[in-house]
Amino acid sequence: MNKRMILTCACAAAIASVIGISQPRPADARIKLATLPDKEAVVVRFDHPHQVMVEEERELSLQKGVNTVDFSWAGTTIDKGSIVFRPVAADSKVEILSTSYPPGEAALTWAISSPDARSEKFRLSYLMANIQRETDYRAIVSNDEQTLSFRHYFKIRNWSGGQFDTADFITRDGKTFEKGLDRGEAKRMLVNKWDDVKLTKEYVYDLTRQHEGKVLTDYVLPNTKEAGLGVIPFEHGKVRIYQDDGSGTTAFTGEDWGRFTPIGDDMRLNIGIAQDIKVEFKKMVNEVENRRGNVYDTNEVDEYEIKNFKDSEATLILVLRVQGEWAMQRDSEGYESFERIDNETIKFKVKAPAKGEPVKLKFHYKRLNNW
Amino acid sequence: MRTALAILALLIATPLLAKEELVTLPERDSVQLTIYNSEDLTLVREKRSLSFKEGENRLQFSWANTLIDPTSVEFAPAGKDATDALEVLDISYPAESHEMLIWTIGCNKAGGYNVEISYFTSGISWNAEYTGVVNTAETAMDFTAYVTVSNRSGEEYENAQIRLVVGTINLVESIISLATPRRQGAPPPPAAMPREDMRRMARAGRDAADESNEDGMARPKEIQKAGLSEYYIYTVEGTETIPHAWSKRLRSFVIKDVPIKTVYRLEPAKFGPAFTKVFEFKNDEEHKLGKEPLPDGVIKLYRDAGNGRLSWMGQLASKYIPKKDEVKINVGPDAECTLKARRVSLRKKDLTFRNNWLVGHTTVEEFELEVRNFRPRDVEVEIHQSFGGLFEFESEDNFEKHDATTQKIKFTLKSNETRKIAYKLTTKHGENAR
Repeated sequence: MNKRMILTCACAAAIASVIGISQPRPADARIKLATLPDKEAVVVRFDHPHQVMVEEERELSLQKGVNTVDFSWAGTTIDKGSIVFRPVAADSKVEILSTSYPPGEAALTWAISSPDARSEKFRLSYLMANIQRETDYRAIVSNDEQTLSFRHYFKIRNWSGGQFDTADFITRDGKTFEKGLDRGEAKRMLVNKWDDVKLTKEYVYDLTRQHEGKVLTDYVLPNTKEAGLGVIPFEHGKVRIYQDDGSGTTAFTGEDWGRFTPIGDDMRLNIGIAQDIKVEFKKMVNEVENRRGNVYDTNEVDEYEIKNFKDSEATLILVLRVQGEWAMQRDSEGYESFERIDNETIKFKVKAPAKGEPVKLKFHYKRLNNW
Repeated sequence: MRTALAILALLIATPLLAKEELVTLPERDSVQLTIYNSEDLTLVREKRSLSFKEGENRLQFSWANTLIDPTSVEFAPAGKDATDALEVLDISYPAESHEMLIWTIGCNKAGGYNVEISYFTSGISWNAEYTGVVNTAETAMDFTAYVTVSNRSGEEYENAQIRLVVGTINLVESIISLATPRRQGAPPPPAAMPREDMRRMARAGRDAADESNEDGMARPKEIQKAGLSEYYIYTVEGTETIPHAWSKRLRSFVIKDVPIKTVYRLEPAKFGPAFTKVFEFKNDEEHKLGKEPLPDGVIKLYRDAGNGRLSWMGQLASKYIPKKDEVKINVGPDAECTLKARRVSLRKKDLTFRNNWLVGHTTVEEFELEVRNFRPRDVEVEIHQSFGGLFEFESEDNFEKHDATTQKIKFTLKSNETRKIAYKLTTKHGENAR
């Protein structure tokens, strides 16, 4: 006995395609029996960074022998090549014999062999496009800027054409939300929250990040247990930062894109410009020396005058770059420490006294073997 | 008022719009605007009292024809009771409207609670302005700072507490682009300016004054300043109502007799190519200032013309001036203090040839700068001279090195005095520079 069933992806367009069997196309010659078992246990998984997998279960009434089951998904964005259909029970006696793809249709047909008449639960898995996901964060920094509360949100928007009356939405880090999601609807949920997370604040002068030579204010969040995080890697997302203003409310102090931050790594967030710290650059010496034919060295002294107009001392990080082969000279001065990050980059830490008292970083270096 | 908050009656999780009913439309209890001057951004916080029933409650918030960023809209319980009782379960953005969202709020104890709704809006801005009235001797000026708030957001915020943020925050997406993602190009024109009646205008005017004095005299509102991280927050006393398409200017402070110094400068890197008059003072206690930084804004300068009259000197855009930093106001060239530069001589030497072709030479130039002060008072002068290439600079005047390519000289020029400054510049060109 051969029985046909039709499964539809739960969307109006799909149902329309089932009803439209009278259309004079070759595919429509197939007999379709509109027995529509309800979707059960729908799961939408976001554990892959780019793809969204939907799994659903359907209870089918099978007759003894070969049964034909149609599955159609017109109007939705199911990836036909990704569809996996199998019985839920590991020891199931039914067997899927073949899958047929009718031409010109968003549909397929399974031939299922059953040893007897029975009701069998099947699981259907497929990739679905146009279910967008977005991660964003809210941080509320304490008034003294030593700690913050960190909130992690997950937002999904359904442009897939399908509708989820109720489904378990599973985030990349394993959190499950049971929600309904209409066509075109978006939902945003709080996924995680952490309080008393330690942060550090840095003032950074780096012309590759701020071309006008202004000083950036960065917060650095270590994604570690020690800092109060270190539970999940953080997805790329916008971080909006507020600060307790000491009067019972908060003020928005800036936002930045948080890059993907694995456990153990730092998330660096620029909140804006530190306008009370000024850096003035002057090239004091720029001489050619040690000329050999068309090869020469240069002797260069760069001076950075730093004025911190705040009421307290601040440490400024200056990230400077020199191209080519070069060597720092010993009479460089005015810094607390330095670190050569790579061949082109050197990072100085300079303590800037309060109330505008100027301090000068003298960076003396020679560029070698130029031509 | 175009934002609206509604509690929805049905709590089912089926498709939303067809089944929901509006139950209440609670008014704002209070509203606070935190306006940023570095970006087109205002943080709005509204407090409302809402009744919740036990279980799931749904709140619809809509903002048609405003410039609100939907991604910024937040609901938060206000106060301990509300925090203990309420929890945001999810936020739904229905497909049918870009200007609406629905919160699902879990409530474990029925009752009335205070809640706070916050969001970012575009279209409200503030800027600083200054006026300086310089005395006839140009030794001091009366300095007044103002803040002007303008509302073109499409929304009227009545009796709002106004906070102004001084500082440059980082924004990775503009609020206007988030507020109007489906509209092409420029933001939609705000609604036509309403025909406000005189009553509203009078009320808006009254907002800017405090009538709490015992003598019944209104006085300008105070603006409190406080630092927060890298920013300053100016809080305007009391509340203000700024209708859509209106602006309001409030006085921030006025300081009499700020001592100023007049310096004539030739410093192309900072003040352009002309020999120019610069008023200088410091934002510090010595100059009766220094209590707060001066936000970037336009400075308008007037001269005291006597008999209570003013004459116009000019205006310029000023950058942010931290506490204790110098303020230098370029008021332009002055015919009463002039500088003439001339090249006195030019000589070429050390001509270098290769294959009968000139490949290098050296120029020796002598320059003279003549500075004349026609004013009836002594003036300060600072002159910068910059040179390119491989050069040698010689002068018997007291020049000092400013940087690798610039020499500078400072001096005082007495009234009706003329000073000549001379220097010699030797520059190597081509092969001679190797």
